[in-house]
Amino acid sequence: MERRSFLKGFGTAAACAALLPRMASAADEAKKVVGPNEMSIETAIAAITGGKPLTPSSKVSLSAPEIAENGAVVPVKVTVESPMTEKSYVKAIHVFATKNNNVRCANVYLTPANGEASFGTRIKLGGTQDVLAIAEMSDGTFLSGKQNVKVTIGGCG
Amino acid sequence: MAEMKTLIKIKPKTYAVGEIVKIDFMAMHPMESGMRKDKDTGAIIPAHYINEVNFLFNDKLLTKMITWESLSVNPVLTISLKVSGAGTLKVLAKDNKGQSVESTVAITPKG
Repeated sequence: MERRSFLKGFGTAAACAALLPRMASAADEAKKVVGPNEMSIETAIAAITGGKPLTPSSKVSLSAPEIAENGAVVPVKVTVESPMTEKSYVKAIHVFATKNNNVRCANVYLTPANGEASFGTRIKLGGTQDVLAIAEMSDGTFLSGKQNVKVTIGGCG
Repeated sequence: MAEMKTLIKIKPKTYAVGEIVKIDFMAMHPMESGMRKDKDTGAIIPAHYINEVNFLFNDKLLTKMITWESLSVNPVLTISLKVSGAGTLKVLAKDNKGQSVESTVAITPKG
């Protein structure tokens, strides 16, 4: 009896073990839809900075809601404290949603004619994550600012 | 395919030379991420999003934007402009399916 139940149990466990990985991977594949522009945050940052250091700075202010009820529409506003003259200005503002399938949201290339380095938009967030803003300065340095946004309902469903 | 509808708003409505105004560019666009499935058929809806927006003031490039599918449906893009004089602000928007739209607004400073 013991042997039988052992074998029975073993047999089922083995069958389960054999099936599980396949089932799991199939379920993962079905669940995980890869977007056409999938990119990780590391790759995206490296593509912008070219390996240069990224300095967190209070000059870059990113305002987004701390809790977003609807991840499909999250207002984000970035302002960079900087003069906007030919000599010294903010060349670009890059906005990233660090855990989206494609982390890139917008790359905004400014000119001194903007008068002020600011950019605002509304983005989709797949879940709770950090929103990161990188300011590319005309002297070749990169400053960053970020904020965590808690998302109650994801926006990529 | 329906034509992309756009709207440009200048805030505040009245401004003088030298002032910094906000430009809101709004476009009616589905901004499909390419990750969503059709509820009935289960097929993935192909990505369809605005990927480039250029702001020109008097035909001189003011701001160039590369945008991605992470922007919300019917995106709003806000930038600043230091009013240097009267002129025309032109916004050219393109999406990944090759559709493009051009919209203009007059910049008329007071005083």
